[in-house]
Amino acid sequence: MTDFAGLLRALVQAGVHFVVVGGAAATAHGSARLTLDLDIVYDRSPANLSRLVQALHELTPYLRGAPPGLPFRWDVETLEAGCNFTLTTSRGDLDLLGEITGGGGYEELAPHTISIELFGLDCLCLDLEKLIEVKRAAGRPKDLEVLAELEALREENGRATEH
Amino acid sequence: MDTEAAGDEWVDPVVAEYKKSVDRTLLRENLKLTVEQRFLRLMELQRFSEELRRAGRRREPKS
Repeated sequence: MTDFAGLLRALVQAGVHFVVVGGAAATAHGSARLTLDLDIVYDRSPANLSRLVQALHELTPYLRGAPPGLPFRWDVETLEAGCNFTLTTSRGDLDLLGEITGGGGYEELAPHTISIELFGLDCLCLDLEKLIEVKRAAGRPKDLEVLAELEALREENGRATEH
Repeated sequence: MDTEAAGDEWVDPVVAEYKKSVDRTLLRENLKLTVEQRFLRLMELQRFSEELRRAGRRREPKS
């Protein structure tokens, strides 16, 4: 079970700069599809890497799917050495993405976000148009069905504003 | 792959086909909710999904 509130609270309270993307962003826009993890694109500035390490330290992050006992240090050096990390934490699964296909990194995505309020927190979430664009760019077969729903959501939003 | 133009936007025929089976009644219900309510509903769906998986694992094999 993913504790979305717990994960987002840990990130926001530590002042981490991030954008909610993926299935969670689709949920924010009204998607009815099940998603099991939280995907975020995070700012890779040195200061933000420190904040991110601090934010998740208490949640004992570990590489998802890795055999237990594999040495994995949760620190700035580890984040600097990689880009995308699929993690399991005590609050559920979290994907940290340095960049996404068709969207880029945090700086490129930031102008294409909306502010969402949930669980007493304010977060940035990819806007629907950009979410559709990056899903189209990803081009995987599984994304086509997701894309259909996102485009339907865009149409339904258009209907709602007409009436 | 065949392409169809709808205005200026290229329409992916596979996506267009999937779109026919999207349940828009669910989307309209979700659009009435706040963002937080949408996440709470998602977490309920996760719990239900996990319970179904557990039920599947507990199912007695037929003799």
